[in-house]
Amino acid sequence: MSEYAGLRVLVVEDEPVVAMCLEDILESLGCETVGPAGRLAEGLALAEREDIGAAILDINLAGERSTPIAEALLRRGVPIAFASGYGAVPEGFETVPLIEKPYREADIDAALRGLLNGAE
Amino acid sequence: MSEAEPGHEPLPVGEDEFRMIADSAPVVVWVTRLDRTRSFINRAYLAFLDVPYDEALVFDWRRVIHPDDAARLIAQSIAGEASMDTFDLEGRYRNAKGEWRWLHSTSSPRRDTQGRHIGFIGVAHDITEAKEAELSLRDSEAQLSAFISQSTAGFAQVDLEGRFVLVNERFCEIAGWSRDELMGMRMLDITHPDDRARNLPLFDRAVAEGTSYTHEKRYIRKDGGIVWVNNSVSVIRRPDGEPFGVLSVTLDVTQRREAEAQMRKSEESLRLATESAGMASWELDLETMQGEWSANRFDLLGMPRRDDGRGSIDEWLERVHPDDRESVRAAAQRCFDTGEPYTIEYRVCRADTNEERWLQSHGSRIDYSDDRPSRFVGVSFDVTDRKRAEDELRASEARFRTIFEQANDFLITTTLDQKITSVNPAVLAALGYSEDEIVGASIADFMAPDQLALALDAFNQKMREGGSTRLTVTVRARDGRALIWEINSRLTTDADGKPTGLHAIGRDVTEARRAEAHLRLLVDELNHRVKNTLAIVQGIAQQSFKGVTDPAIARNAFEGRLAALSEAHNLLTREHWGAVSMAQIIGDAVAPHGRDAGRLELDGPDLPLLPKTAISLALAIHELATNAVKHGALSQPDGRVRIHWAKTEAEGRARLLLVWEERGGPEVITPTRRGFGTRMIERGLAAELSGTVRIEFRPQGLVCTVDAPLPEGAE
Repeated sequence: MSEYAGLRVLVVEDEPVVAMCLEDILESLGCETVGPAGRLAEGLALAEREDIGAAILDINLAGERSTPIAEALLRRGVPIAFASGYGAVPEGFETVPLIEKPYREADIDAALRGLLNGAE
Repeated sequence: MSEAEPGHEPLPVGEDEFRMIADSAPVVVWVTRLDRTRSFINRAYLAFLDVPYDEALVFDWRRVIHPDDAARLIAQSIAGEASMDTFDLEGRYRNAKGEWRWLHSTSSPRRDTQGRHIGFIGVAHDITEAKEAELSLRDSEAQLSAFISQSTAGFAQVDLEGRFVLVNERFCEIAGWSRDELMGMRMLDITHPDDRARNLPLFDRAVAEGTSYTHEKRYIRKDGGIVWVNNSVSVIRRPDGEPFGVLSVTLDVTQRREAEAQMRKSEESLRLATESAGMASWELDLETMQGEWSANRFDLLGMPRRDDGRGSIDEWLERVHPDDRESVRAAAQRCFDTGEPYTIEYRVCRADTNEERWLQSHGSRIDYSDDRPSRFVGVSFDVTDRKRAEDELRASEARFRTIFEQANDFLITTTLDQKITSVNPAVLAALGYSEDEIVGASIADFMAPDQLALALDAFNQKMREGGSTRLTVTVRARDGRALIWEINSRLTTDADGKPTGLHAIGRDVTEARRAEAHLRLLVDELNHRVKNTLAIVQGIAQQSFKGVTDPAIARNAFEGRLAALSEAHNLLTREHWGAVSMAQIIGDAVAPHGRDAGRLELDGPDLPLLPKTAISLALAIHELATNAVKHGALSQPDGRVRIHWAKTEAEGRARLLLVWEERGGPEVITPTRRGFGTRMIERGLAAELSGTVRIEFRPQGLVCTVDAPLPEGAE
């Protein structure tokens, strides 16, 4: 738990129930949640403004793609992972890990660990 | 001539009497003295010379002797006279008419009573006819002899026991034995053993009955060789009719026999060849209209074979199918009459099984340069199988033609350099070109370079490895539409397996591909939705069970939420995941909680909502309704809930204002802990609508106010 102490994780997820679920998982892992953002503009604003250690982005946000958020975070050197039911990362983000929905706490844990290790 | 009687002077008869006798004799008579002068000549003598009597008495005979005979006759005459005996002369003398006549004279010495020689008396008679006959005979004998010895024919005479007694040179040459060797041998000794049994009865019968015969047989030559001879044999008889020998005229016919054997052999080979080829033949002497059929011609017509091989035209025509009979008869008759050969195909009904068979027949008239009558020769063979195969092929061609014409699939043939040689109507219809515009064009005219490259790759693969290829290419129709064709093709080859062209069958898969892409999209979307839904379910489950100690309560909450979710999905599915009615979503969400009892009042326009928003709204309304039933207005019999919404406007933008308002319930106490429901409504729905959601726990009843931009899809 203490592993992620103080880690601020941006949650971009347009499905309220799923977002709440992810918030709970992150909370139980000891992370601090930023968001959740359910819309692109909202997510983009958080990505640029907040102090963020990692991000988990739903790909499809009410018909828009979250890739601008991803680009903004990557520019800032924030490690990100996509979460999606589509089974594939967007074109151009092949190196970004994918967490397939539905996910369990262990999936998020493993993804975060991967992100942090990769960032070191 | 009788010897001259002993002479007296005067004559024993009177001189006149003698003269009369002598004159009446048909022979020349003369009497000479010792000095060779004539004392008497008769009338025949005078007639021969036709000179006066006195002149005739002194005529010098040497003047009329044939030059060829003169020397001989004079010498013989001198010798005869000197012999003082009777002597004969024979020679040619010229008569008064200038003709050479053969005269045979006999002269005898004359003596007087004392026996003194006083001269000669001579008689000559004309033997010209006899002599000429003799000479002629001798000539013909000489000719015959020459003929016999020089003849190409051999002559052999045997006695009645068959022993050779006389043979000519030619016979010796033919038989291969010398004359000396043959003498003493019997003709059977040199006859081939196989021919003796046939030869002997003929010979015996000839001897016994005098019948002539001609036969052919073999002699065995001394060198062991065999010679074929043709012998004409006849019996030779004595003048009294008694046979004393048998004469054979022998011709060497070995070459002819060999030629015949050769011909028989080649005829036999020809017959075997034709028969083994299933060919039956028949011949006809056009003068007699008689002829023979080969054995298999009977077989062909299903008739029993005949020993004599005879078959008539009518018997043939009788077997010909009635529908073909007249044309067949006409063809044959025309050939008989004009010599025009024919080749016909017709049906026959076999005599034995009545089976219908097809025959092909060729007939020709053979005319000879000599006066032999023309012959007709015909051959026939059974072509039923070929006919059936042809019919089959025709039918199959027709079938394929129909398929070709009517197929919905595209059928295309091309040359090895991609020139189109044929297309079926389906191709024309699909591309919108006429046949003239397509046939002769290159396939390159109907596809883009990259597509042509695909086609050529497939073509080269077939050229390398044979077989067929399946290819999907985009072709261009006349109006520019891109059509996706799936084409199976293989090379056509000649009998040696050398490629001659290409045969392709294609099908338009444009629609299929579009449908396929659409389906893939749908499946992907479905997968996505299922995963999303599962994620939602997972979230609901997590929230429902989190921190709840009574599992029954947690399960009830979970089931209720799932039911709300499910109800929303039902609606979405009914609307094909298009926009759904806000009234409907809210109505469905509150229905399980007493809407029917009139305790829930819905009031608002029928705004359309996007599916995702609809689900969030349904779940939020469910949470409010559940809370109302458990703790709020609906937990009391008189409690009411009013749900009203409206499109409003603020700062020039359309907004949605929705209010959930409870009344008549127990006094509301603000909860100390906010559960999933509150969170779902205040945060989830707010996030979903990008607006604000406020829950007020007023003592007279809970009020939930949603203020958000008018959701997408609801404008």
